[in-house]
Amino acid sequence: MSENIKIVENATCTFCGCVCDDMHLHVDVEEKKIVKAKNACILGRAWFSEHTIEENAPAAMIDGKEVSIEDAIEEAAQTLVNAKFPITYGLSDTTCEAQRQAVAITDIIRGNIDTTTSVCHGPTGLAFQGVGESTSTLGEVKNRADLVIYWGGNPAESHPRHFGRYAVTPKGMFIPGGKKDRTVVLVDVRKTKSAPVADIFIQPKPGKDFEILWALRALVKGKTISADIEEETGVSLEVLQDLTEKMKNCRFGVLFFGMGLTMTRGRHFNSGALLALATDLNEFTHFVAKPVRGHGNVTGADNVVSWQTGYPFGVNFSRGFPRFNPGEFTTVDTLSNGHADAALIIASDPGSNFPKRAIEHLKSIPIVVLDTKQTDTSKDAHVAFRTSTYGINTSGTVYRMDDVPITLRPAFESPFPDDEKILTGIRKRVHELMLARHSANGAIGEAKVAAPL
Amino acid sequence: MPLHLKLHTTPEVPLEAECICPDRMRGLSIDDINRLIVFHGNREMHLADFFECSGNNDGDIRVAGDLVNVKHVGSTMSFGLITIEGDIGVHAGAAMSGGKILIEGNASDWLAPEMLGGEIEVRGNAGHLVGSGYRGSTVGMQGGEIFIHGNVKNETGHCMRRGLIVVGGTSGDFTGVNMLAGTIIVIGEMGTRTGAGMKRGSIISLTKTSILPTFSLACNYSPVFIKQYLHYLLKKGYDIDSKIINGHFERWCGDAVELNRGEVLLYAD
Ligand code: SF4
Repeated sequence: MSENIKIVENATCTFCGCVCDDMHLHVDVEEKKIVKAKNACILGRAWFSEHTIEENAPAAMIDGKEVSIEDAIEEAAQTLVNAKFPITYGLSDTTCEAQRQAVAITDIIRGNIDTTTSVCHGPTGLAFQGVGESTSTLGEVKNRADLVIYWGGNPAESHPRHFGRYAVTPKGMFIPGGKKDRTVVLVDVRKTKSAPVADIFIQPKPGKDFEILWALRALVKGKTISADIEEETGVSLEVLQDLTEKMKNCRFGVLFFGMGLTMTRGRHFNSGALLALATDLNEFTHFVAKPVRGHGNVTGADNVVSWQTGYPFGVNFSRGFPRFNPGEFTTVDTLSNGHADAALIIASDPGSNFPKRAIEHLKSIPIVVLDTKQTDTSKDAHVAFRTSTYGINTSGTVYRMDDVPITLRPAFESPFPDDEKILTGIRKRVHELMLARHSANGAIGEAKVAAPL
Repeated sequence: MPLHLKLHTTPEVPLEAECICPDRMRGLSIDDINRLIVFHGNREMHLADFFECSGNNDGDIRVAGDLVNVKHVGSTMSFGLITIEGDIGVHAGAAMSGGKILIEGNASDWLAPEMLGGEIEVRGNAGHLVGSGYRGSTVGMQGGEIFIHGNVKNETGHCMRRGLIVVGGTSGDFTGVNMLAGTIIVIGEMGTRTGAGMKRGSIISLTKTSILPTFSLACNYSPVFIKQYLHYLLKKGYDIDSKIINGHFERWCGDAVELNRGEVLLYAD
């Protein structure tokens, strides 16, 4: 360790959706390493301490050969403009500023944009649209919530500071005793490491969340439910009645839900049932529901894509205007059905975690990748950019899981450009190429922009 | 002699061809039809770039070729007949209000979403969301009849308001979810969570299925209207045992979290 240590106060960890912005980083400026991350959890410490920069890695490659960034931008732009069904995917581990550029590129090239939301809380996005959302910030939860229910998630391992910073132990304005003043309920099919935190642990049979939520809705509305529910769901009627009373009689209740709910049989109806339960409970008390989001800026991706297109993910521009249809325009579908003919992948690795059919098709089309490291996707890329890491090397804006925007304070510089810079270059170039194509087709003035391809 | 459209070039990416519709072709010459616009991904092309067109333009259209990547065929049609001589892609018959679409093979997802009237017959299977509403819409199919001889996937009749959907084979989960009114008949087995959130309407199944805890058994009876429906289905080519036609059905009322005025009728004998 060198003597040259820089302290970055109130830095932000972007490893998970908690986006903790109270990090005190000790940065070895010469070694370009974060040697200490005070306040970080075990995941955050690993995120900071394992961050290294491969100085000698090429910043841009075409078909595996090092090229200048300008040449790579030109090739990426040509690839995207020549495609008939280009897709843009990823975006949850980059800044909102970069996400904006990605939406603009997709709009210009009349492509299809989707984020990692479609493979995590996409069903929740659908449910928001269908059911609506009673919501609040995590600050309100900290200060007011006396009943906290976690459903289908394991924050102790996935979001370690969720309990301590926002929802269980912190003392709040109206919760002076912290954990003592709260009742914590965990609903999960497995007894995870989060279970010891809970005052009440409910363990339903796998895939029966919808039935339980539906029964709770009925009980909240004063309807009768048969005692047979236990045989079907594994949860007795008494437990459900007790939970119903607790929910109706709390002062401020919150339902946090994870992918154990959204990615099991029933998907968006599971999320919808939970959101509807929160809405029903507002007849009796104040109740909110919040998805526990995974990636650091996946909430930002939802926000940016929504305010630019009107829809959160799975948006298609091929007709010149945005259309939303998950199942048709979501990336797993556009790849598995063999529809996409070029891909722009930003800060994501679908080549390693998508279904086999989707990966096979992805490998058969030209890919443009922006990532901080080599991935399975970038190994197969036609054009690959190595970019700097958001939050550590790059400033910008990210959204915490409760839709609160937070400005990043980078620790040290990277020799690689950031996503926004590369995407801005591609955006400018695709715009020029499209205008040139429209002019060649005889369009002039405004019509150059709106002309059909 | 009908108008024949034969696919000569398989689209590399999805082809959006809502122009394959009697309303849009009404009064057009073969040359005009050849020049109708289709979208090949993000490129505007002409129908003739993909289809060979021949015959008389009299409202009767026959479409042949591998059409799994061809979307929106028959969208918003109000009269005439479209015969698909094989499989068809998504959104076939979207918002149609009249006429008939006969699909001799399989249909994909979103068959006849937000249909207003007319008839669709599928000899094979269909995908998810038959006769449903589009995402964000609170009303699905509002009229007309959909006859599927094979199986369907999830969310059949999602938030349908009126009309009839008949499934000869099995249906997936959430059949009739958020249904407002109308009738769904499933001859084979249904998946789980049938009728979740339904306000009114009838879901009739000729086999037993799991019932949500928010439905309650009202009675066991032999309603005349089911007999009428099943006789109608016999005429439509479905194979139904006469024992079932005259049999008894359990009537489950639900969904209690909504109006509780819908019914799931399960063959009981
Ligand atoms: S909880 Fe998440 S954001 Fe907070 S320090 Fe841990 S990994 Fe980072």
